Amino acid sequence: MEFKKISIFHFLFFTGQLLFAQQTMIKGFADVNALYVDSNSNTSFNLGEFDLFITSEMSDKISFLGESVFKYDAVPNSKFSIGVERIIIKLNYFRNHNFLIGKHHTPVNYWNDSYHHGRVFFPTVLRPQLFNSAIIPLHTTGISFQGINLTALKFGYDLMVGNGIGATDISDNDKSKSVILAVHAKPFDGMRIGISYYYDDIASGVKKAGGSTITASNVIQSLYSGSIAYFKTNVEFLSELTYANNKVVYQNAHTTLGYYVYAGYRYKKVVLYGRFDQNNYEDGEPYFGGSDVSIITGGLRYEMNYLAVVKAEYQNVENKGITSGFINVQIAVGF
Amino acid sequence: MFKLLLDFNMKEKMFLQKSLKKKLVSVSLICLLLMGILFFNSSSLFAQTPLSVIVNSESAPADMSFAELKTILKGEQQRWKDDSKIMVALMKSSSAIGSDIVKKIYGMTADGFNKYWLSLVFQGKATAPVFFESENDLKMYVEKTKGAIGVITPTIAVNDKSILIDGKKIF
Repeated sequence: MEFKKISIFHFLFFTGQLLFAQQTMIKGFADVNALYVDSNSNTSFNLGEFDLFITSEMSDKISFLGESVFKYDAVPNSKFSIGVERIIIKLNYFRNHNFLIGKHHTPVNYWNDSYHHGRVFFPTVLRPQLFNSAIIPLHTTGISFQGINLTALKFGYDLMVGNGIGATDISDNDKSKSVILAVHAKPFDGMRIGISYYYDDIASGVKKAGGSTITASNVIQSLYSGSIAYFKTNVEFLSELTYANNKVVYQNAHTTLGYYVYAGYRYKKVVLYGRFDQNNYEDGEPYFGGSDVSIITGGLRYEMNYLAVVKAEYQNVENKGITSGFINVQIAVGF
Repeated sequence: MFKLLLDFNMKEKMFLQKSLKKKLVSVSLICLLLMGILFFNSSSLFAQTPLSVIVNSESAPADMSFAELKTILKGEQQRWKDDSKIMVALMKSSSAIGSDIVKKIYGMTADGFNKYWLSLVFQGKATAPVFFESENDLKMYVEKTKGAIGVITPTIAVNDKSILIDGKKIF
């Protein structure tokens, strides 16, 4: 009996110590939207993503980051599904150099590595077309070496090896791995310039990006990306470009070019912005299967504070010679 | 004829003088406006609250530049020289001293500062600072936490824990 009491005391004491030492933070993001489509003159309200974000420090060298998103899904009875967007265990091995393992947002370009799912951070209502059209593989499960803010230029790097396209979160569908190398520098306050390279050997039988058909043969994919971002005082500028090269064995390579340019001007809490997106696909492209699209966006962002943002924007989309217009209004919050 | 020419020259001179005066007035007004803008910007960006930095780390330098301090407080340098983790302690930006620190060191608005940190943490690139409502609580935290660094007013700072910024105890 005495032994039990002592054991319970020790258990409570040590777990208490551990819990005290561990720093855990839970944050969340959500957004609600209203969309007007001019082709059918219809307005509808819609729920965006309900994003739960957890960080925890196990020791001064090991930390955890998890991000789960709840969003509408037509398939289950509840009409909602949960997606694990990121699970990252980070081990700091020297100064600003880290080793990471888990499910990451692929560190290609700026947007995918910076904004993730928190709409409150997005400078516009919607992601750029470059990310919506599956040219960029948004997630990668694997390992990476990361360095941040090195030297006076605030140089950073990400070297990642992952399961690649076609894999699930629990297994890889083939023996080849995707490889990503990204470097960036912040030459002065507010500016970030980056370039990256993504390589993957996509196995035959994998569902094509943005379509229901599958690849008949392996596709060797190379993505060359570059980005420049400047967010300081009143001026906001962000541009990213990806040149994709998809090649089926014994066939010619097909190229795709996707880019966008965003610019905004801030007056106090209001930002007036514009964005131009364009994706150009070469005929016979074997994997993306997209068609040329260009989008002009103009909008206004009102930042009530850093946790509550209202955006209203007009989009003019030109795809396959058809032009359509949309008005999006979004309120995004963090809590 | 000569008189007419003289008259014409006089009129031209007066006209030129008048236009020169107008130009001078316009230039002066523009200069005043620019100076006003500069004064307004500089006064809003650089608050004059005297500050001190306290540290609890043997490997922290006894004297660091303001640029180095900024690098640490912005979460860009995350380790001391002995590789121990830097724990940043700050006053809440909603407090008067916190707001001054945000302006003086970060050159940001309170909202911009909070967004900056939330974004860094969300990206998994840094650990959020520990925020305090009372300077005494902040001082106690720094004293008890290895690797901690905090910014407070000189009256609260203890001399043996504070370090020099650009050679000064108070900056």
